[in-house]
Amino acid sequence: MKTALRIAAVVAIAALVFAPLRLNGYLLNLLYTTVLYVALAYGWNIISGYAGYFSFGQIAFFGIGAYATGLLVADQHWFWMVAALAGGIVACALAVPLGYVMLRLRGPFFAMGMFGMAQMVRVLVTAIPATGSGAGLFLPPGSSLTGVYYWTLAICLGAIALTLWIDRSAFGLRLQALREDEQVAGTLGVDVTRAKITAFSLSALIPGLLGGGYALFLTYIEPDAAFSSRLDLQSIVMAILGGVGTVWGPLVGGIVMTQVSEALWARFPQIYLMLFGGLLVALLLALPRGIVPAIASRWRAR
Amino acid sequence: MTEPLLEVEGIAIAFGGVQALAGVSLEVRAGEIFSLIGPNGAGKTTLFNVISGVLRPDAGDVRFLGRSIIGRAPHRIAQAGIARTYQIVRPFGRLSVVDNVAVGALIHARTVERARRDAREIVEFVGLAPYADRFASDLTLTQRKRLEVARALALRPKLLLLDEVMAGLTPSEMDGMADFVLGLSERGIAAVCGIEHVMRLVMRISHRIAVLDAGRLIAQGDPHAIQNDPAVIEAYLGTPTVAG
Repeated sequence: MKTALRIAAVVAIAALVFAPLRLNGYLLNLLYTTVLYVALAYGWNIISGYAGYFSFGQIAFFGIGAYATGLLVADQHWFWMVAALAGGIVACALAVPLGYVMLRLRGPFFAMGMFGMAQMVRVLVTAIPATGSGAGLFLPPGSSLTGVYYWTLAICLGAIALTLWIDRSAFGLRLQALREDEQVAGTLGVDVTRAKITAFSLSALIPGLLGGGYALFLTYIEPDAAFSSRLDLQSIVMAILGGVGTVWGPLVGGIVMTQVSEALWARFPQIYLMLFGGLLVALLLALPRGIVPAIASRWRAR
Repeated sequence: MTEPLLEVEGIAIAFGGVQALAGVSLEVRAGEIFSLIGPNGAGKTTLFNVISGVLRPDAGDVRFLGRSIIGRAPHRIAQAGIARTYQIVRPFGRLSVVDNVAVGALIHARTVERARRDAREIVEFVGLAPYADRFASDLTLTQRKRLEVARALALRPKLLLLDEVMAGLTPSEMDGMADFVLGLSERGIAAVCGIEHVMRLVMRISHRIAVLDAGRLIAQGDPHAIQNDPAVIEAYLGTPTVAG
């Protein structure tokens, strides 16, 4: 069983690596989007799934990464991958002081607070004249979709590896303990503040790194695209559908959602959103804890 | 045995207009069983919250091994050697029983595997071995009480604060818990037991007793002295021979 899964994983990764050689533009585009969403869902899953702090504002770090990359490429003429890496590091570093303040809030207050924080960051970033404000920022051409795809794939695989590590580490156990009961975790020796901020900055690093690739993909960034609430919400829904706080939830949720959404859109373009919404509600009613936990508990019951 | 392990000095704390603790002072020595008795609302849990760093008092000092621990974060107090249980059991429901205990064991173990191994031993020691890999939310109340103790023991504390350990237990389970607390003392772990009203056991296990009433200590001493203290008899015990 375990070796079969390992072989399947190797085959899947090989297929993803060689995909750009075979796929046409539309399909590669679809694949890029899927990988991007899955990676975003993995980023969100660390602070919100493992640590239990539901965030509706991780897109702020995606936007920071996108704009940092845009500025470094357009004004400083950096090579885009270096710029995107810098964008991720900036997002991760900013998350430390932001997390120190925001993680004092809990539950719905944290969720709403993060939503507000993302709006604030968006306004601040676009207030910098060099970002072109609302008018946007053009990036010089020079990267192909294939390059952006590989960048995003590497981050996605890295995010999965990171999650696998967290799930088995002392750090992950501390996060889950504080998710269940923060006060008790503290009196059992867990430095909750440190654990939360670490989780939060890892949850910022991933979208921060992805943002730069996305800026290159669009070649033109403006606030609505870089701080896209659609990207934010969709990736959250994927993680919830797949199973919050599980290793494979974001991947399973991401694949199911993008494939179903695409199939519905191709066949029923007029009523696709209605069908998609209805299906989502039905799935969540049937599997309130998500797909992966439902399968896992069935497996254990056998 | 002469050097006090824990020194509580003049602790006062108010919530809104309610003075929950009004200048409480006491000392616990190494390996001692110290019972803190008093009716519901007397301030026992509040005092435990202050000692474990969950609440910061308005006035007073708490010293552990001679050093003030006021203002220290709860995890640092736990690492220094003070563990506690909660009156209302609070297991990490979606973690296994072993993982619940492993969280505390992490302060001594370098890896999570090592912490889980230590945790398994403790889980066995408190008699939860058959449930080790179940979710903590599947346990009964009695089992959850044991899990509370197991988690605290995983910290390898020098001092254990047991908040209402007897509440909700049947008389035979209470005797088991009393033996367990005596066993701790034999192994050199001091215990402060917050107990509402099981006088029979308090008298049997305690080296010393303090009586808390409406945020004040009205008496302190060995079991014999407490039983004969007129203030205690009047305020709390009713008659000196009340049984649990």
